[in-house]
Amino acid sequence: MGHLILLLRPGFLGFKNRLSRAHGSGFKKPAFMGVLGLVFGLVLFVLSSRVLVYFQSVEMIGDLLAKELLSMVFLTFFSLLIFSNIITALSTLYLSKDLEFCHSVPVSVEVLFAARAFSTFLNSSWMALIFAVPILGAYGYVYAPGVGFYLNLLHLMLALGLIASGLGILLTMILVHIFPAQRTRDVILLLSILMVVGLYLLFRFLRPERLVDPETALSVMHYVSALKTPDSPYLPTHWITEILWGCLEGSERGGEVFYVLLTWSTALALLVFNIWTASFIYFGGFSKAQEAKKRLMGGKRVLELLIRVVTKPFKADLSVMMAKDMRVFFRDNTQWSQLLLLSALVVVYVYNFKVLPLEKSPLPLDFLQNGLAFLNMGLAGFVLAAVGVRFVFTAVSAEGEAFWILRSSPMRLKRYLWGKHFFFLVPMLFLGLVLIVVTNNFLEATRFMMLLSSGTMFLMVAGIVSLGIGFGAMYPRFDHENIGQVATGFGGLLYMMVSALFIGAVVVLEAGPVYLLFMSEMKGRPISTLERIYMISSFSGVLVLISAAVLKPMSMGLKALEETRKGQ
Amino acid sequence: MIELINLSKRYKSLRAVDGINLEIKQGARFGFLGPNGAGKTTTIKMMAGVLMPTDGRIIINGHDLAKDPVAAKQCVGFIPDRPFLYEKLTGLEFLHFIAGLYGLNNNGKLNHRINDLLDLFGLGRWGEELIEGYSHGMKQRLVMCGALVHRPKVLIVDEPMVGLDPRGARLVKNIFKEQVENGVTLFMSTHSLDVAQEICDEIAIIQGGRLIAQGTGESLRRKAGVDGNLEEAFLRLTEEKEDLHGSPDSSVAPRLSGV
Repeated sequence: MGHLILLLRPGFLGFKNRLSRAHGSGFKKPAFMGVLGLVFGLVLFVLSSRVLVYFQSVEMIGDLLAKELLSMVFLTFFSLLIFSNIITALSTLYLSKDLEFCHSVPVSVEVLFAARAFSTFLNSSWMALIFAVPILGAYGYVYAPGVGFYLNLLHLMLALGLIASGLGILLTMILVHIFPAQRTRDVILLLSILMVVGLYLLFRFLRPERLVDPETALSVMHYVSALKTPDSPYLPTHWITEILWGCLEGSERGGEVFYVLLTWSTALALLVFNIWTASFIYFGGFSKAQEAKKRLMGGKRVLELLIRVVTKPFKADLSVMMAKDMRVFFRDNTQWSQLLLLSALVVVYVYNFKVLPLEKSPLPLDFLQNGLAFLNMGLAGFVLAAVGVRFVFTAVSAEGEAFWILRSSPMRLKRYLWGKHFFFLVPMLFLGLVLIVVTNNFLEATRFMMLLSSGTMFLMVAGIVSLGIGFGAMYPRFDHENIGQVATGFGGLLYMMVSALFIGAVVVLEAGPVYLLFMSEMKGRPISTLERIYMISSFSGVLVLISAAVLKPMSMGLKALEETRKGQ
Repeated sequence: MIELINLSKRYKSLRAVDGINLEIKQGARFGFLGPNGAGKTTTIKMMAGVLMPTDGRIIINGHDLAKDPVAAKQCVGFIPDRPFLYEKLTGLEFLHFIAGLYGLNNNGKLNHRINDLLDLFGLGRWGEELIEGYSHGMKQRLVMCGALVHRPKVLIVDEPMVGLDPRGARLVKNIFKEQVENGVTLFMSTHSLDVAQEICDEIAIIQGGRLIAQGTGESLRRKAGVDGNLEEAFLRLTEEKEDLHGSPDSSVAPRLSGV
């Protein structure tokens, strides 16, 4: 036990030191993130409460829907926690820089594993558990159960976290044991991402919206019986839902104690089983993960051809930089596998427009089609910003600790940043235009709307890319272990917020003139001089805004990157 | 040639480098010594353009690094103490990347130069392998290839022997000597006094961010008042300062014996 506490101490001390040494601006980031988290939690609480109040108003099936939702919430959190634990366990158990030292000290493998497993559990669970609070709090608010609900909630969430952590860590250990060491990380990441993409697409194509549309069921009875079908009784989420639902209904059904015992015995049994398994396979896996990596490079010819085509118009310095970025991107599975996630996102986005039940709407069809086509501009912009935070925002940080090479080279930072900008502009433009053109075709939008949204998207993409590069340069993280961490940090969050504001402002500025044009065409009414002035100034405003979004973040990013040369 | 004029670097209240003045002639082999935390790496990073000085100027081959960084950096080959590289590139790709940054066109001449360098540093058969498969010493040698690929006039080197085996160390020393014979100016920081003694014709010692001594090995020994090797001179020269700052000195060993 003494060793276990000793091994956990550096983590706690590091956390304590970070807090105690944060002065002035050091507090700004956590405070900002805290306020943002609170606002998000509050919004989630209000939305969840409204949904539950609505469910309560639905006769016969209201409570069934609420219970189904509770079960889905737990299932979602459980899946997310397992996924998060797999990713974290890879780092904490096999790839962290301090592991070599930890394995060299005279501590048993079991104790070292237990300490690392505990860190994995803490690091990967806290955020998911915190976000569960507003949703589960809404259940408490709407159903007003006794104190038993909250007490059960506390220990059951802990048990759920432990089970998810146990499963995630066990899966990681087994995969590391099976696959060749040099492929471990890639294989796990690829499998996890494929799993997420598969589940995501499956979920989307099942069209869960039909569940809340009883009209589509053959009959109400059929619908109710579908809802009453229990999820798998072997899942811990089922046990927890049953216990908490009993508390919410205030009814003693007798099975709760059994389910509590089942949940906790599973959590503790997994803990013991994992430590036992670790004593056999953990050190072997860690040792394999240290072995030198040599990789066969498939598809080299295609990549080289692509590089030649892309870099041809550029001078030697930009050309080698782009070639380097492309090689690194396609050889780093943690990078390109994200393309799978992105593809799933795009497919689902486009599919949503295909299945929109426009004909059921009470609004005129052409108004709705063009209104949606207009809003689509904003939505596609958000999709691009989401893609941007993964790839464009991380572009500067992706240089990692090799950034000294560019620093000490004769290439100017301004040229470097604009080189990155052009590198990402083309694929982002392609993606943006595909999103707009395909979805507008599904909506059968007018030629004017197609031209307007394509033109706006064309210009907006330049702004989104600039924001990505600029914010990436303002908040670089060269010492990351995994580039995925960079996108989810403070800078990434700020980039997403500013991008959302930018996209929203463009849409708002264009909304007025577009409405006027559309109404004048529909009603055959001429446009007055005042309206013309208004339209011209609005579109000019859009151009000014986009120009500012293209230029300002780049200059701010450049300045910030120059500032980092001053050191701490 | 290299000129450091009143070069300073402050980190909040700490003066890491405090008003250094140096003039190093073309073709010189200049050693930069000092205890841990003396300011060697900070000085070198400023000279490589990686870190911005708080005060002072750096002139490299007549180009002011602050005013004309592109021209100044074009003359420099920089070898840092830790070889952080793009792990997903092969050795060959990395060298082509570096060459491109220095504006060299990708042609047969460049390919020849890169292959020669890889062979020279014993990396010929590793050129097509990903850097992530290289050992620390191999990465260090690859960085050296990169520093030489554009035929620099000034080589700035931070702790070159770290991670090299004896054969690698011997090779590197010979290459440095050869470069200097061809007119390259060498500025090298090292902890190894043997290396400094063997390679450098002039040595400066920095401590607490300030230059405390400068000259040939012989003149440093005279200044320290010792007849022995450079190590004794170094210890004597840095001793006084250490005592003033209350840092551990050579008398620490007896005190530790009871621990």
